[in-house]
Amino acid sequence: MSTTTMVSESQTPPNRAGRLRRLSQLRAYTQSHLIPSSSSSSSTATSPPSAANQRRNRNSLSRVVSLSSPFHISTPTDSIQPLAASASSLSPEREAHHTDNSASSDSDPREQSASSASSRSLPSSHEGSAQAADSGLQTMALDNCAPQDSSAPATTTDASIINDSNNSSAANKKPKMNNTIRFFAYQDTHHSSRPSLQFSPMTRTLPSEDCVIRVGRYSERDGVPIANPTEPSDAPIGFKSKVVSRKHCEFSMVNGQWHIKDVGSSSGTFLNRTRLSQPNMVSRLYAVRDGDIVQLGIDFRGGEEMIFRCVRIRIECNRTWQQRPNEFNKNTESLINNLGKGKAASNFEGCRECSICLGSVLRPYQCLFMAACAHVWHYKCIRRLIHTPDYPMFQCPNCRAWTDLSAEVDDSMEFDEESAKEDGDATDTKADATNDANADATGEQSQAAVQANGENATNDRELAAIAENLHLGEERNTPTQDAENPDGANITTKGPVSGNSQSANIPIPNGSSSHGNQSNSRSDTPANHEAFEDDPMTPRNDSGPLALDGRAGHL
Amino acid sequence: MGSMKRISKELAELMETPPTGISIQLADESDVYKWKVSMKGPEGTPYQGGTFHVNLTLPNEYPFKPPTVSFATKIYHPNVSNDDKGSMCLGMLKSDEWKPSSRIAAVLEFARQLLVEPMPDDAVEGRIAEQYSNDRKRFEEVARDWTRRYAREEK
Repeated sequence: MSTTTMVSESQTPPNRAGRLRRLSQLRAYTQSHLIPSSSSSSSTATSPPSAANQRRNRNSLSRVVSLSSPFHISTPTDSIQPLAASASSLSPEREAHHTDNSASSDSDPREQSASSASSRSLPSSHEGSAQAADSGLQTMALDNCAPQDSSAPATTTDASIINDSNNSSAANKKPKMNNTIRFFAYQDTHHSSRPSLQFSPMTRTLPSEDCVIRVGRYSERDGVPIANPTEPSDAPIGFKSKVVSRKHCEFSMVNGQWHIKDVGSSSGTFLNRTRLSQPNMVSRLYAVRDGDIVQLGIDFRGGEEMIFRCVRIRIECNRTWQQRPNEFNKNTESLINNLGKGKAASNFEGCRECSICLGSVLRPYQCLFMAACAHVWHYKCIRRLIHTPDYPMFQCPNCRAWTDLSAEVDDSMEFDEESAKEDGDATDTKADATNDANADATGEQSQAAVQANGENATNDRELAAIAENLHLGEERNTPTQDAENPDGANITTKGPVSGNSQSANIPIPNGSSSHGNQSNSRSDTPANHEAFEDDPMTPRNDSGPLALDGRAGHL
Repeated sequence: MGSMKRISKELAELMETPPTGISIQLADESDVYKWKVSMKGPEGTPYQGGTFHVNLTLPNEYPFKPPTVSFATKIYHPNVSNDDKGSMCLGMLKSDEWKPSSRIAAVLEFARQLLVEPMPDDAVEGRIAEQYSNDRKRFEEVARDWTRRYAREEK
């Protein structure tokens, strides 16, 4: 059995021997009174905590102490008398209940509520019926409806914990990807003329449900925190504002729902403009939902300087499903891939309409903008929602998801089907290379195909055959220049060409005599619409240009 | 104006397939930003048998700014102001809740649903909301009386 003890922050034992004596007293007491006789025989003595450990854990918040029985203790061990007194004041029936029936699930909730009140969640080391009892008690403690027993052991929040057991259950739990929360700076234009503290968006994914995200004032001592860690992390979040307390509030996950708790801040924590607790008082847990506004503190000295401004945060939680393959964004992907290929609109149900102008986004030759949530609009329609005072933050008008348009392109969250898709793409590319350049691929694809043909044609006869079908554009060249063709000579197809043909650069051996004459004869591509109709040589891009957000590239 | 295209599209759709109990026409044929909407009182409500005329005004910035809905016909309702403006408090019409993807059809259906089930928690007229919550019978009597007096269809 691993025993967990607590050392008070206020005073430390005078010497090592005294501490050991008290530890042995505590162990003897717990074995005789709280632990069933069957389990006490197998228990082993534990070594006292080192001074280094004690210092390291001094400022940590207390957690519920886990023993092998369903009864939890959380007491200071400076003096054994209060513990003995409080425990002995239990009624005989209750004492008998603890010694004989500790494995049963119907233990009195009043003792347990006292210990669980100091902690958000109970340890998950119990098994079987004891675990069921714990989960029920956890709910009671959260709802603040468990009656407090005056005889139950007192709890402390300042005491630090030294735990000898190495097999923590939190380390073994795999993080669930829905335990993700994002913090965005929020400017309340309706109620406040002065902007709140600016900060870049921050993301946290809990490694396990036992973890807590602490929020407080930024401290140089803590080092620069990573705003958006790639691995699951419960690293604390700091804001450079004097109105934020060092320990201001905490975000935690309880039963799959995010909660916030004020941990005794002086200037207050506000959830949707409602203060959670009195100054310097710990609040109860409040559920936080997607889109809620959390405010830390209130402006000091009129908020003249940025450092005296409050922090307003828009919460976005459990939205990681949007960044994974789902029916909607797969539909959007196929929509983008098949633009201009004449596929039936019914194939792209739900994502074929720009929700601003109600026009189709399936037609080619349009600038489109796609957000990370896979909603698509015409760029012309959406641009006024992009270029706002909130830029680079963009809020989707369809689903209200926020996107950071300045975020780095993230390749870490590739789709599961990516590898399978690459195999398919490789075969498609080979097929394109063998097909004619007039196939309904984009200009870049056909250009690559023709270049591949040019590289394969090694003998002069093949080059001559290609040259027969090509002429050098002496009057006008397209603006693009190939790296292998620095003089700017562009080769376009001769004769009548269909409207959707593309021009392509063909590598010509340097011996070509006409290169020197081409360099100065370039003119701009005509802007006149009629010129487009008359001149089939103008390159076309059937897909239309796309303005894509970085993360949408995975679609 | 960029919004004109969208408004015309929505108007055409609503003219073709109007929502139940609602008919739409332009207040002025030359101005697509002002609509006249006639709303029949839903069955099984105190407003049954009445026809309520609603003015729907679209801002120039539509769909980025929400439309405004006001009752030209007097109506006894917690969510409609009891004055000559007859402005209606709709959750989805508040500027911070409005989404450009929302449509006028949804606004009108929401307004009609509000006649079926008023929202006293989001009331414009606190006294009427209190009466609706505490003395439903009296509320329905007054609402029925107002419907008879102000919203009776002209034969």
